[in-house]
Amino acid sequence: MPRLMTKVWMNVTRSRLRRAVTLVVCALALGAGLGTVLAQVKKPQYGGQLNIGSAVLAIPALSWDSADFNWKHNQDTGLVYEQLFAADLAKAKRNGGKYSFIPDGWLPADSVRGELAESWQWKENPLRVEVQLRKGIMFPEKPGVMKARELTADDVVYSYTRLDKSPKKISGYFDHVEKVEAAGKNTVVFTFKNYNAEWDYRFGWGYYSGIVPKEVVDAGAANWKNVNGTGPFLLTDYVAGNQYTFTKNPNYWDKETIGGQANKLPYVDKIVYRTIRDESTWLTALRTAKLDILEAVRWSAVDELKKSAPQIKWAKYLSTATTFLAMRMDTKPFDDVRVRRALNMAVNKPEILKSYFGGQGVMLAFPMHPDYGGYYEPLESMPPSVKELFTYNPEKAKKLLAEAGYPKGFKFKVQITAASPEADLLSLMAAYLEQVGVTMEIQPLEYPAFLSAMTTHTNAPGYFMTTSPTNPTTTLRKQFVKGQQWNVSMYNDPEFDKKIDTMFGEKDEAKRQTQLKALTREVLDKAPYSWLPTQYAYAAWWPWVQNYGGELRAGAARPGPIHARVWIDQEIKKKLGF
Amino acid sequence: MTAPPQVVLSVTPGAPDPGPEGGGMFHALRTLLVRLFRDKPLGAAGGVVCVLFLICGIFANLIAQHGFNDVAMLHRLKPPSWQFPFGTDNLGRDVLSRCVYGARVSVIIALAGASLATVISCLLGVVTGYVGGRADMLMQRFVDAWMSFPDLVILIVVVSVFGPGVPTIVCTLGLLFGIGGSRVVRSAVVGVREQTYVHAAQSIGASTGRILWRHILPNILPPVIVLFTTRLGGAILAESALSFLGLGVPPPAPTWGGMLSGAGRTYMFQQPWLALAPGLCITFVVFSTNVFGDALRDLLDPRMRGSR
Amino acid sequence: MSSYVIRRLLALIPTLFFASVIVFVTVRLIPGDIIDLMLSERDISSVQLSRDQLLQALGLDKPLWQQYTHWVSGIIFHADLGKSLWQGIPVREQLAARMPVSFELGLMAMIIGLTIALPVGIYSAIRQDTATDYITRSISILMLSVPAFWVGTIVTVFPSIWWGWSPAVEYVNFTDDPLLNMKQLLLPAVVLGMALSAVTMRMTRTMMLEVLRQDYIRTAWAKGLNERLVVMRHALRNALIPVVTLIGLQAPLLIGGAVIIEQIFVLPGMGLLLLDAVRQRDYPIITGLFLIIGVCVVLINLLVDLSYGLLDPRVRQR
Repeated sequence: MPRLMTKVWMNVTRSRLRRAVTLVVCALALGAGLGTVLAQVKKPQYGGQLNIGSAVLAIPALSWDSADFNWKHNQDTGLVYEQLFAADLAKAKRNGGKYSFIPDGWLPADSVRGELAESWQWKENPLRVEVQLRKGIMFPEKPGVMKARELTADDVVYSYTRLDKSPKKISGYFDHVEKVEAAGKNTVVFTFKNYNAEWDYRFGWGYYSGIVPKEVVDAGAANWKNVNGTGPFLLTDYVAGNQYTFTKNPNYWDKETIGGQANKLPYVDKIVYRTIRDESTWLTALRTAKLDILEAVRWSAVDELKKSAPQIKWAKYLSTATTFLAMRMDTKPFDDVRVRRALNMAVNKPEILKSYFGGQGVMLAFPMHPDYGGYYEPLESMPPSVKELFTYNPEKAKKLLAEAGYPKGFKFKVQITAASPEADLLSLMAAYLEQVGVTMEIQPLEYPAFLSAMTTHTNAPGYFMTTSPTNPTTTLRKQFVKGQQWNVSMYNDPEFDKKIDTMFGEKDEAKRQTQLKALTREVLDKAPYSWLPTQYAYAAWWPWVQNYGGELRAGAARPGPIHARVWIDQEIKKKLGF
Repeated sequence: MTAPPQVVLSVTPGAPDPGPEGGGMFHALRTLLVRLFRDKPLGAAGGVVCVLFLICGIFANLIAQHGFNDVAMLHRLKPPSWQFPFGTDNLGRDVLSRCVYGARVSVIIALAGASLATVISCLLGVVTGYVGGRADMLMQRFVDAWMSFPDLVILIVVVSVFGPGVPTIVCTLGLLFGIGGSRVVRSAVVGVREQTYVHAAQSIGASTGRILWRHILPNILPPVIVLFTTRLGGAILAESALSFLGLGVPPPAPTWGGMLSGAGRTYMFQQPWLALAPGLCITFVVFSTNVFGDALRDLLDPRMRGSR
Repeated sequence: MSSYVIRRLLALIPTLFFASVIVFVTVRLIPGDIIDLMLSERDISSVQLSRDQLLQALGLDKPLWQQYTHWVSGIIFHADLGKSLWQGIPVREQLAARMPVSFELGLMAMIIGLTIALPVGIYSAIRQDTATDYITRSISILMLSVPAFWVGTIVTVFPSIWWGWSPAVEYVNFTDDPLLNMKQLLLPAVVLGMALSAVTMRMTRTMMLEVLRQDYIRTAWAKGLNERLVVMRHALRNALIPVVTLIGLQAPLLIGGAVIIEQIFVLPGMGLLLLDAVRQRDYPIITGLFLIIGVCVVLINLLVDLSYGLLDPRVRQR
C-alpha cells in the first residue's frame, strides 16, 4: 500500500500537485479569514431594554409639539418623528468614516443621507429643491388618533406650513422660502426666494423638522399620549421628571446592512430615556448598570469609574460647551481693544489646561469647533496676533493696561449664573487677574435673571457664561451681529454684518468656508471674550451595548437614529452577571 | 397648688436676681458655669466648641495661615500634610484656612439668622398667644398664609431680586424660621397663660406688658432656648442646602456648605479630605450648639431648680 | 366645636385669596421672565415681533388683573388650574401625577420620624442624665447635624462601590406595584425621617421633662401609681401640645419642600416640580402648586389646632 501511494505520489506532476495544494491552502485561509471577519461582524440579536442617560439627562422632556419651537423637541421625540434628512451613520468613525457626530446643530453636507427623503435635486428658474420621498413608509395605527396609513408629500407640506404659521415661530426663520407644495404623491418642492446656506438646517434635519401628521395635531399635539410618527419606536409611557419610555414599532420601514446582510430595524424592544438631575446619582446609576449608556461623563469622574466598573467602554470627545468671560465693548474700560487683549494674556490658560483640566482639553474650540471640518482652523495656523491671546504674558498685559490708561488696574462687575458648575473657573480667573491689578466683583444671578440680562442687553461689563456653538454660520451671526440676542459683548461692526449676510447667501461651500474662516480670525483678533480652554468629555456604555461608538447626534439635538441602531448582546450581559 | 417661683436667674435680661445671696449677675453667671461643667459635661463640651467656633469666626484672618482664595495650581489636590493640615482643594487653596474663614461666614449667618428668627417668633407668638381673640385669629390667618408659601418660592424670589449673598440669606432665614417658629412659641404661651399665677397677676391688676415680661416670657424660656439653639444649627444647615441648590453664598467666598456640596462631592473618592473637613466642621458645630442648648435649658428651667 | 371648625374653614377663603394674589404678582415681578427664556433658546435674533407674538400666544399680554380673574374663574367654575406655558399640559394633570409621590414620601418620613422620636424622647426624659439618655440624645442630634444632601449622597454612592447596589432610578407608581413603590421610597423616607425625628425628639424630651416636674405628677408618684400609667396617662397628653405643633410645622415642608431628597433619589415629586417651574418661570404651575399646598397646609394646621382641644381641656374652654 505505501509503495502504491509513493508511486501515485511520484506519478502526479509536481506542478499540478503544487497547484492543488496551493488552491486548498488558499481556500482554507480564505475561509478562515472570512470566518474571522464574519465572526467579528456579529449578527445582531433582537430584544431587550436599553436604559439611556442622554447628554441632557438633567433636563426633563420639554415639549412634544414641534410648533413650540423648542430646541429639545428632537431629543424627546427623535425616536418617533422622522425628518427629511438625518446623519448617515455608515460614515461614523467606528465604521471607518470620518465623522464623530458630536456637534449639536450641524451636519456636514456629505454626512447627510435622506431619511424620509429618497433623493433630492436642485433646480433653477425658479430656485428650488425637489425632494422625492421614499414609498411605503407607514404611520402606525394609534387608537383614538389615527388609522395606519402611508406617508405622503402632503404630510411634509402640512408639517412645514404648521411651523410657518405657528404663533411661536422664530421671526424670519423661513423668510428665504417662497412656497412649499406637493407635486404628486411622493414629491415635495421647496421654492426659494434666494439661496440660504441653512436651508436644510431650518427644515430638513434641524431642531423643528419632525414630520407630524395632521391627525395628531387634531387630537392635540402637545399631549404625549397622542404622539405618533413614522419612526422606529412608539412613545408608550411618560413619567414627568423621571423617564419616558419607547416601545418598538413592529412595522418600521428601515433596514440596516451589517456584514452584507440587511437587518430589520429596530433591534431592542424598549428604550427608556431617564431623567436624573444629580451628577453623583447618574454616575452611580451607570456604575450599577441601571444605565446602559451614559452620554456625558466629565473627565474628572472617569478615573474612579474605571476602577469601580472596569468593564465599561469609553469614547472620548471634545465637548461643545465652552466657557468664557464676555466683555461689553460699549462700556469703559472694555471699549479699548488693548484692555480686552490684556485680560486674555493675563490669564494663565496653558496652566489651566494642564492643571485644572488635567490636560484633558483643547485651548480653543469656540466659535469654531474642531468637528466642523472645513470651517475650522486650528489655533496653530492662526496669525500671531491671535495666537498671542492664548499665551500667558502678564507683563505684556500690564503694559497694555498702562498704555490704555489703567496702570493700576481697575474694578469691574461680573455676572455669573448662580448654580454654575464653572464657578471655580471664575475664582481661578479672578485670582490671575488680581495679579495684574484687575479686580472682579462677582454678582451671581439666578439663571433666568442671568439670561434676561443678556437678552435685554442690560448685562454687566463682565459676563461669565458657558455656551455651545450651534453650527458654523449661525454661531457667528448670533454671537457677533449687531442687535442679536446672544451678542453679549455688544460687538458692533457694520462691515462684519454685511460680510455675514454675504456668507449666508454663498452657494459654493468652499467659498463659504474661506469667508467664514476669515471672519473667525477677525472676531478672535478683536478679543470680545477672554476664552478658556474646552474640556474633553466621555460617553460610556456597558459592553453588551453593540453597534454604538459614542456618537451623540444624528440631526439637531437628535440622537434617535443612533439609539435605534443599538442592539444588546444578552450573552455578554449574562456573563457579566447582570 | 403653691405658686411657683416668679423669676428666673438673672441671665435673663432685665429680671433682677432673686437668689438668697443677692450678689448680682456676675455671681449668678459663675454659679451657672460651675453647674454646667459639673452636672452637664456633654453640654459643657458643646459650649466650649461653640466658643471656639465664635473665636474662629471673629479672628479668622489672624488664625488662618493662608488666604481663602490663594490659588496655587502647583499644589492642587494635595493630601493633608504639615504645610496644609487639611490638604488643598482643586484650585490649590488651603482647606484649613478656608474652613476657618468659612467659620466666620457661618457665625454670621447662624447668629444673625437665629437671633432674628427667635425675636420674630417670640414677638408674634407671645403677643398672639396671650392676647387671643380676634387679633389672634387674624395673626394666625397671616401665619397660615405665610406658611402656605413653600419656603423655596420665597427663597428663590428673594435670591433672584436681591442676589445671593449673606444679608439676603440671613433675612430670608430669619423670616422663614421666625414665622414658622411663632407657632411653637404661641402654643407654649397658650399652655402657660392658663396657669394660676398668671390669673393671680391679672387679678391684682398687673399691666399686660409686665405680665408678658415677668411671668409669661421667663416661663416659656425653655422651649425658646431650644428653638434658638436649633435655629443656630438650622441656619448653618440651611446655608448648606442652599449651596447644594446653587443659591448659597457665591464664590470665591468659602462656606462650609459650598465646600461640601461642590468640590466635596465631585472629588469625594480620590480626595476625601475635601468633603471631610467642611463636613466635620458642620457636624461638630451643629451638634455642639444643640447639646449646649439642651444643657442650658436644663439648667435654666425655674421649675427644676428645686428638684436636684 | 363644629361651629369653630366651620368658622375656620370659612376663614380659609380670605387667607388663600390674599396669599394667591401675593404669589401671582410676586412671581411675575421676579427678573427674567418666561418670554426671555423662551426666546433665548432660539438661535436667530428675537426682534420685538417675536416677543409680542409669544406674549400673545401665552396670554401674557393681558393686564395682570385680567389674567388673575381668568385664572380664578377657571378654578371656581371648571376646577381648571390653567395650562403649563412650556408644555401646554393642564396644571391639574401634572399636580395629580406628582402629589401622590410627595404625600407618600412625606407620610412615610413622618411615621418613621415619630416612631424614632417619641419613644426616644420619652425615655430620655424619664431616665434623664443617665448614660442611655446621653447616648440616644447624642445619636439623635448627630443625625440632625449632617446635611441631608450629604447623607443622601453617601447612602446612594458608597453602596454602589462596595456592593454594586444602588437605589432604583425608575419610579414605579403605587397603583402599579405597591410593594416595589414602597421599597423605592423607603430609603429616602428614612433619610428624611431621621432628620425630622431629631427635632421632634428633643421637643418631646423637653416638654416631658417640664410636665414631669409638675405637682400633679408628683401627686401621682406619691399615690404609688406605676410608672407607665403616670407617663402615659398624665404626662404624655400635656407634653404633646408643642410636639403636635412641631408635627404640623413639618408637614408642609414635606409636601412641597423635600427638593434635595427628590433630586438625589430621582423621585418625581412636587418639590422638583416647583423648582423647575420657578427656574422656567412657568407661572400657572407655580400659582397652581402654591394653591394646592396652601390648602393642604391650612387644613393640616386646622387639624393641629383642633387637636389642642383634644389634648388640653383648658384650651377647650376658651
